[in-house]
Amino acid sequence: MKTPKNRWNRLIAVGCIATVGITSIMALAQNSATTPITFTAFASDPNANWNNMQDDVGKFLTQKTGVTLKPEFAVGDPIAKINLIAASGQYPDFIVPKGQQGVLVDAGAMLDLTDLINKYAPNIKKVIGKQFDRMRFTLKDPKIYFIPNLDSIGQIDFDTDAWYKLQLGALKEQKYPRIKSLQDYEKVITTYVKKHPTTSDGKPTVGLSLLADDWRFVISVTNPGFWATGASDDGEWYIDPTTYEAKVHLTRPEEREYFRWLNHMNDIGLLDKESFTQKYDQYLAKIASGRVVGLIDASWEIGQAVNSLKAAGKFEQTYGRFGATLKPNMKAAYNQPTGFRGGWGIGITTSCKDPVRAIKFLDYLASPEGQVLNSWGIEGKHYNMVGGKRVIPEAVQKEKSNNNNAFARATGIGSYNWSIRYGDGVKDATGNYYTTNFPDQILANYSDEEKSALAAYNVKFWNDLLPKPSSFKAKPWAAAWSIPVAQDNPLNEFWNAEQDITRKYIPQAILAKPADFDKIYDTLLAELETKISKYSKLQTQLVQDRLKLWKILK
Amino acid sequence: MKINPVKINPVKTKKPFDFFYAFNVVLLTLVLIVTLYPFLNVLAIAFNNSDDTVRGGITVFPRVLTLENFRTIFAFSNIPQAFLISVLRTVSGTFLSVAACSMVAFVLSRRDFQGRAFLSRFLAITLFISGGLIPGFLLMRDLHLMNTFLVYIIPGMVNAFNIFMIRSYIDGLPYELQESAKIDGANDFTIYWRVILPLCAPVLATVALFVAVGQWNSWFDTYLYNGSNQSLSTLQFELMKILQSTQIGRDAAYGNDIAKQMQQISPDSIKMAITIVTITPILVVYPFLQRYFVKGMTLGSVKG
Repeated sequence: MKTPKNRWNRLIAVGCIATVGITSIMALAQNSATTPITFTAFASDPNANWNNMQDDVGKFLTQKTGVTLKPEFAVGDPIAKINLIAASGQYPDFIVPKGQQGVLVDAGAMLDLTDLINKYAPNIKKVIGKQFDRMRFTLKDPKIYFIPNLDSIGQIDFDTDAWYKLQLGALKEQKYPRIKSLQDYEKVITTYVKKHPTTSDGKPTVGLSLLADDWRFVISVTNPGFWATGASDDGEWYIDPTTYEAKVHLTRPEEREYFRWLNHMNDIGLLDKESFTQKYDQYLAKIASGRVVGLIDASWEIGQAVNSLKAAGKFEQTYGRFGATLKPNMKAAYNQPTGFRGGWGIGITTSCKDPVRAIKFLDYLASPEGQVLNSWGIEGKHYNMVGGKRVIPEAVQKEKSNNNNAFARATGIGSYNWSIRYGDGVKDATGNYYTTNFPDQILANYSDEEKSALAAYNVKFWNDLLPKPSSFKAKPWAAAWSIPVAQDNPLNEFWNAEQDITRKYIPQAILAKPADFDKIYDTLLAELETKISKYSKLQTQLVQDRLKLWKILK
Repeated sequence: MKINPVKINPVKTKKPFDFFYAFNVVLLTLVLIVTLYPFLNVLAIAFNNSDDTVRGGITVFPRVLTLENFRTIFAFSNIPQAFLISVLRTVSGTFLSVAACSMVAFVLSRRDFQGRAFLSRFLAITLFISGGLIPGFLLMRDLHLMNTFLVYIIPGMVNAFNIFMIRSYIDGLPYELQESAKIDGANDFTIYWRVILPLCAPVLATVALFVAVGQWNSWFDTYLYNGSNQSLSTLQFELMKILQSTQIGRDAAYGNDIAKQMQQISPDSIKMAITIVTITPILVVYPFLQRYFVKGMTLGSVKG
């Protein structure tokens, strides 16, 4: 008969054995999960701040996962190098080929990640969520070869750009009028130029300047055609939201009226005579001189000039931005949600020694811990938790702002966005943002002049002047420009063919006498019809294939 | 004894206006301006504040003097190591290439060399046809030259153009020199080393300059073969990386980090500063070799 004591002993013994067993198994598991392993990689974007993982975050990652990355970054054109990789048959473990995905898939270099993700990557699955199908490659080959890492998930833009820009000084002088339509926009320019025909140093004031230098023509001249008429950015295309048919956006009747307005601006002498001849640097110099009242352009394109204005203390010559439209019933669609756009990412190649460890590494980077590590750094060193909020200490922030490259090299923050991740404005379980770009920071970067303008408009951000994302229906095809075009698809010729026509006729139409405008625009449409319509069918096919792949169309 | 100074009356003839001379002065001044101005402009922009440069109108002098552009470049800690590799490859690559090419050239210049015509033609083919990028890459891989320092030296060491240039020069030397040396008991290597090479100094200097500039400026081979090997990176490759990062940093997709965007120096200023960093060593060496350069080029070409 067993005494209770005996039983007790036995229990302890069993417990002991079990504990030893479990610990050793755990140690073994731990061991295999963090045994040092080196993965090679190739990335299509340069990163001059890569520090061979000898930075703070890199050391932590190696310690945590055992992985040392040995990447190579493209310098110059990555296409040649990726073709070489594909041809040589010696692939790095990871590859981020951007637009060259097709070459590698054709060469049989890429592993199908579907099962690996399902088995070993719960974090990646969680981040991509319901949009899982959007990772699939093509309708013909619906495997998952790449985990998207260029586009972030769930990004909320607090400060979406808008194209119609007016100098803050002009707005202030006219008591911050409401800018909803092109007429409002035009009125500010007209009034200002009439009152100040020359700047303080005697040069003539420029009413509205456009930029048509090479591809920038599209940004400042033709894209505003859809921005001002309530359509959103599908590159050179307009996709009908009901039939999913593609056509060149310039063929929309509304856009003819938009270019008629530009023609009118030229007719009344407000359009810069050099709009179609100036080079990019001349355009920037003109803006930096502070004599251009109105611009129709993206903020990133004029960034250097605006920085120069700020450095010179000319804050009143920097710009406010508005979603002006042709007619009051049109909604400027800068904020129209696209959903996750699919596309470019990181893949694991067939040369990879240990695909399971590789996918687990990417999964760790996609975990809340990994994402915070990449954008905030290490707790206690690069940020502190103060009352449940992540706070960057002042000394760290100062170093980050003043010495950004050195900071990035030393800390490694931002160098590990190899895997899928959330965008700005997404909060983690602690209620903090995953990234360090959030509203307060944007506000801190506004100048006092911008802040007083925004106060006069009764809003906090420029973005608040635009129609909200919730007032739009999401585009199920995301964005036409984000759909990859196969190498052998004749659609690759479209861009050149179309640009030949538009860069010829659009400037002509804008600079013509108003009476001749329609004749030229008709010629443009006729040319597009004869030379471009075959591409429209191909683009329609492309859009519909994507919708089928994403299981939106049957 | 006193010598009476002889007074020489200068003949007072009015010098006729030399139209040709004046034309030359004007023309060459124009050429000077056209060639010098871009360089001075680059120099001025490299030393000018980047925000100010955007305003345009920089000509020969910087408006707002700064070293910030250079500081940005040298903040990247790979630079010293890369600089060392660049110097190493330039020095050793040039030396070995000149040695190899001159030896081949010497052999090709010898009338008693049987395979002379065949080898010349064979070499000439490489002037017009190259294997292409991918075969070249595969070859380097199979020769196990990837991720080695030797990949900078060996593939370009024997260069047909340089060989022909040296050979033309040797052909211009009297063949009797070689014969008499032979009669004095010199073997072929002694003839090459003690007779031919010293006489070839001008053309060797020319070739050395070609090769050195090529070695110094080259970055694409680093990218192709040693891109993942930081310790073998070259200066031009590092500078290229910096340039590309500044450019990308300005682009739309990467415009999220506003603090970064504000801080960054415009790519144009970086580009100019990089240009200055790159050409300074060549500018320093060039005057010493230039003397030979002109001589070697003309001599070689006339006889060739």
